[in-house]
Amino acid sequence: MLLDAVDLEFAYRTGRRSAPPLVVDGVSLHVDAGSIVGILGPNGSGKTTLLKLLSGALGPTAGRILFDGRDLASMSRRALADHVAVVPQETHLAFDYTVLEIVLMGRYSKLGAFEIEGPDDLASAGRALDATGSRHLADRAFPTLSGGEKQRVIIASALAQLDMRGTTANAAPRGLLVLDEPTASLDLKYQLEVAALLTRLNRTRGMTVLLSTHDLRFAASVCQHVVLLSRGRVLAQGTPAETLTPSLVSTLYDIEAGVVAPLLA
Amino acid sequence: MSATSHRGGASAIRSQPLRLLARVAAILLAAMTLSAPRTLAQVGTRPARVISLVPSVTEMIFAMGAGSIVVGVSSYDHFPPDVATRPRLGALVDPDFERILTLHPDLVIAYGSQEDLVRRLDAAHIASFSYRNGGLDNVTATVRRLGERLGRRADAERLAARIEADLGRVRQAVKGRPRPRTALIFGRESGSLRGLYASAGVGFLHDLLELAGGDDVFGDVRRESLQVSTEMLLARRPDVVIEIHTSEGWTPTRLAQERHVWDALPALPAVRTGRVYLLADDSLSIPGPRVADIAERFARVLHPDAFTPNRSETR
Amino acid sequence: MTARSPLTRGIPVVLLCFALMVAAIVFAPFIGSTDISFGAVFSRRVPFADNIDAQIFFLARLPRALAAALVGGTLAAAGAVFQGLLRNPLAEPYTLGISAGASLGAMVAITFGAMLPTGGVATAGLAGAGLAVLVVYALANARHRGLSTTVLLLSGVTLNAFFWALILLVQYLSDFAETYRALRWLMGDLDVVGYSSIVTALPLLVIAFVAFAWLARPLNLLSLGAEAAGARGLNVARAQRVAFFSGSLATAGAVSIGGPIGFVGIIVPHLVRLVVGADHRLVLPASACFGAAFLVACDVVARTVAAPLDLPVGIITALAGGPFFLWLLLRRR
Repeated sequence: MLLDAVDLEFAYRTGRRSAPPLVVDGVSLHVDAGSIVGILGPNGSGKTTLLKLLSGALGPTAGRILFDGRDLASMSRRALADHVAVVPQETHLAFDYTVLEIVLMGRYSKLGAFEIEGPDDLASAGRALDATGSRHLADRAFPTLSGGEKQRVIIASALAQLDMRGTTANAAPRGLLVLDEPTASLDLKYQLEVAALLTRLNRTRGMTVLLSTHDLRFAASVCQHVVLLSRGRVLAQGTPAETLTPSLVSTLYDIEAGVVAPLLA
Repeated sequence: MSATSHRGGASAIRSQPLRLLARVAAILLAAMTLSAPRTLAQVGTRPARVISLVPSVTEMIFAMGAGSIVVGVSSYDHFPPDVATRPRLGALVDPDFERILTLHPDLVIAYGSQEDLVRRLDAAHIASFSYRNGGLDNVTATVRRLGERLGRRADAERLAARIEADLGRVRQAVKGRPRPRTALIFGRESGSLRGLYASAGVGFLHDLLELAGGDDVFGDVRRESLQVSTEMLLARRPDVVIEIHTSEGWTPTRLAQERHVWDALPALPAVRTGRVYLLADDSLSIPGPRVADIAERFARVLHPDAFTPNRSETR
Repeated sequence: MTARSPLTRGIPVVLLCFALMVAAIVFAPFIGSTDISFGAVFSRRVPFADNIDAQIFFLARLPRALAAALVGGTLAAAGAVFQGLLRNPLAEPYTLGISAGASLGAMVAITFGAMLPTGGVATAGLAGAGLAVLVVYALANARHRGLSTTVLLLSGVTLNAFFWALILLVQYLSDFAETYRALRWLMGDLDVVGYSSIVTALPLLVIAFVAFAWLARPLNLLSLGAEAAGARGLNVARAQRVAFFSGSLATAGAVSIGGPIGFVGIIVPHLVRLVVGADHRLVLPASACFGAAFLVACDVVARTVAAPLDLPVGIITALAGGPFFLWLLLRRR
């Protein structure tokens, strides 16, 4: 078990006297090494907040998270960055960095304050670019890329982050790739591309992936384990076959069961 | 599209009251103007209620013995002490037109650049006397022109003649003496030699310096004032530096402190020979009846042995 | 793909900028409105106190060139830091109200100089800048763990307006001559007369530049966004604090030397990015060196082109830099 979360609760501080509402309410889940886990739910169900808790960006108000047996809260920023990489929904840059520069930024936690990237880091970036099929983009300016290309480059940057110095290309990375709504801003062609990429990374490199999505078909085609999240609570979890049933999905999205059936076909 | 037209409509409605307001204001102003007493002074008559927005002219009126006709002064007037009893009505950039009207003046003395004020005074049928700064000649010329306008030609002539005689005495005292090369500084940052402003080759201060037996080192620059760089100051090698401070609050202690700031340029002849003089007095910037006093103060520091030592300057 | 960091490709440009800076500082004192004998300048026979040529060279021109280099380099680097911190290409050293605070202090010192103890305009400017920095920091820090860039920007803009109102009030209350001198201070002036103002500001600038060197990589990560930067292992709140305080310190020091000289802090970083790309490890040193060279050159023009008048250097930076920058921008598209 790579990630184990028990009874998580979280509320954003509002500054008002009254107790703030719980955005994540008693969630327990686990992520096995080498699996792809999807958190599925409608907008406002708490998916993004839950991902922030599981990736260590936020600390839970109650409950605990173990990463590879260690308490996530006790890990240093750098140790956390060595093991958990996050791909946000969308990336807007303030300046025109090149693709290679973006991918090399994934190596931040491996370098000293004034250290310059060495051959190891460049090799790691090269592997990450290869794995995402974006080596030909290396010298392009990031803002000139299409949406799908940008997503691949950010995933490559995350891979470079998880690729420990000195490990060989074959060694399975002992890390967790976290993606927040990886397909939300992409059209169908790029959605399929990202799905294929994640599946490939999982099969060939044993990459563990945790993602959030509101897209049923994407979850069904990519994930081995699905967590249905509704108003901050787990509605159900299990394999796609167990969870993506018309009755559960219609409850999750608060729509008629009859409408759901063709979506799951 | 609909949002745009809606916004346009709203702004049209909003601007209508504004236009109305402007029209009402214009009418009120006109009414005020018409209701003001008809005081269009004819040339030759003696104005009895004068407002002076120019300190040097205020001094001239008082000096020709007509201080009683002054009913309002500018916010910068401090001399003679009597002006403290007159209402202050703004100055060059902020004349208080309404209060000027309420004092029912028959003559307003304004700067030549206050064209807007003069136009409004014309509209209110109030006569104005326009003043512009100039060289030293302009002081006595202004006194005479003013005497003409106030119907006090004899008083003015007496004052002008006295000023000219006093200036002549200073000129006579320094006659034939070697003329030290002098930098006349009238502004800088306190505590440093940055932001130096000096008198250049035009204006009454330059004329007074030359009259007092000094050779203005910036006299070749045809401007009233000049920002002087360190390089330029060093290159012009003044034998004497006269610094004038006209704002309030310059105690002898502060002046002595400021005097030491000049030690930053030890090679300047004036610094080497200790001939840096700081004069503090608000009269030093006023081209009025006291110009001969300024000339004498300059002459006393430039040629101390030409005068009996009855007055000491901060040195 | 080469086995060397893409960083190495930009290093020749940084070195070129450095050479430009050194050349500008060395050559600037040889140009001026007065003809001086350079033989006499370096002559040992005449004592310094009697040597006007040497004094013009060492007390008027050299400190001025050094001040220009220091101010130009600092403003350009601080501009790059603020653009990175605020993730906004329109940011500059003066965006957060620091120069307005410094200006207010300087205005007070110029206007009421006679009533203040000696110490003068530079000290008052630093005090005003410090006040502005603390107010902006308190506002931006009040409701967040890290600094909110939006709140930073908004409080900076508001503080700018507020301080400007106070500046105008001070101006309104002051005498003509002082108003003019105050206005002239706002245009920027590098005629520092000797080295004391440089020496006073130097410790601030050294601290700021050490921080800038550390900040280069954090600023790169911050341009991905605060959350993405944090996920890569950056302590975002600390990086933002260091950037804010070092950028502010640098700006305050530069303004205390030369007044609020405009344009260098916004244009030079952009100019440099057009050549070396976005990596702050190149942008910061190249901006510092090129900004220094640029301002030294502008000041030479300012003090010679209309001699004996000494034009405000801020006018030259805008007149020379603006069209050049537009040309570069158009040529690139």
